[in-house]
Amino acid sequence: MAEDIKAKLEQYRTAPFDARFPNTNQTRNCWSNYLDYHRCQKALDAKGVDTAPCDWYKRVYKSLCPMGWVEKWDGQRDDGTFPGKI
Amino acid sequence: MAHQAHAYHMVDPSPWPLTGAVAALLMTSGLAIWMHFNSVTLMSLGLVLLLLTMYQWWRDIVREGTFQGHHTPPVQKGLRYGMILFITSEVFFFLGFFWAFYHSSLAPTPELGGCWPPAGITTLDPFEVPLLNTAVLLASGVTVTWAHHSIMEGHRKQAIQSLTLTILLGFYFTILQALEYYEAPFTIADGVYGSTFFVATGFHGLHVIIGSTFLAVCLLRQVQYHFTSEHHFGFEAAAWYWHFVDVVWLFLYISIYWWGS
Repeated sequence: MAEDIKAKLEQYRTAPFDARFPNTNQTRNCWSNYLDYHRCQKALDAKGVDTAPCDWYKRVYKSLCPMGWVEKWDGQRDDGTFPGKI
Repeated sequence: MAHQAHAYHMVDPSPWPLTGAVAALLMTSGLAIWMHFNSVTLMSLGLVLLLLTMYQWWRDIVREGTFQGHHTPPVQKGLRYGMILFITSEVFFFLGFFWAFYHSSLAPTPELGGCWPPAGITTLDPFEVPLLNTAVLLASGVTVTWAHHSIMEGHRKQAIQSLTLTILLGFYFTILQALEYYEAPFTIADGVYGSTFFVATGFHGLHVIIGSTFLAVCLLRQVQYHFTSEHHFGFEAAAWYWHFVDVVWLFLYISIYWWGS
């Protein structure tokens, strides 16, 4: 399982087609992966397990999201004003 | 003495369309003056002129129809078409606000937390006062129908009672809604939730007040024997308008209060 994830991450070039977000507007795709990464981090940290699987979501959102959005959301998370549910 | 050889109403010259247009001009420019120069004088003047226009124009129509007999069947048919078209235009008016609500709530943006209701908004419980409001308006739809049948059957006292009850229910709704507005945990400035909620329900409330006023005028006319069992279009128009207001509330309740909570 962990080897598959490492292999996937090594082969990563850019975010693959995600059928959940078929249209030109990929905002939801970026948002969803940003949330999933941080939720994954929080959940696996709580269990005390290796958080490597979470890196997939990180790669995807880093490929898709405008940097300004990521910086804004990171800032909001630090301030405690991030509107998403993590 | 010359008589018309047709059943239509060639209206005598009247100043009220002009005063109405002037009122519209003063209110709109007055609104701009209020926003930029902090003066309500022009807008207030326009409002007063509007109220005077409405009072005198509709008074004249009552005189022409009830006292002078100008509202023959074809004329009444035209009035019916007119009211139906007006209500249809109001349907489209509200359609726009429902569009705005669904646009924002079906695909909530990241700024809202990607969810609806947005993060941080505590919605009103749809099964508390809003449900009571629904019952009040539905009941008022029953009482206005009761009033209509009373008029058609020539039961004067019952018509007055049921029409009064309808108006009281309308007032009850307005008071309840005003209290809800006062107590609400969110304001119109609270993002797109606040905007869509208060603009849609606010315009609805305004229409409840307009409808109640229309019914009240009908009550005054009924007391003064204006309506016959065959001819009472003013009342029918008020009843149509009132049903329209009720239906808009039902859509508001289902969409914003219930689904949107």
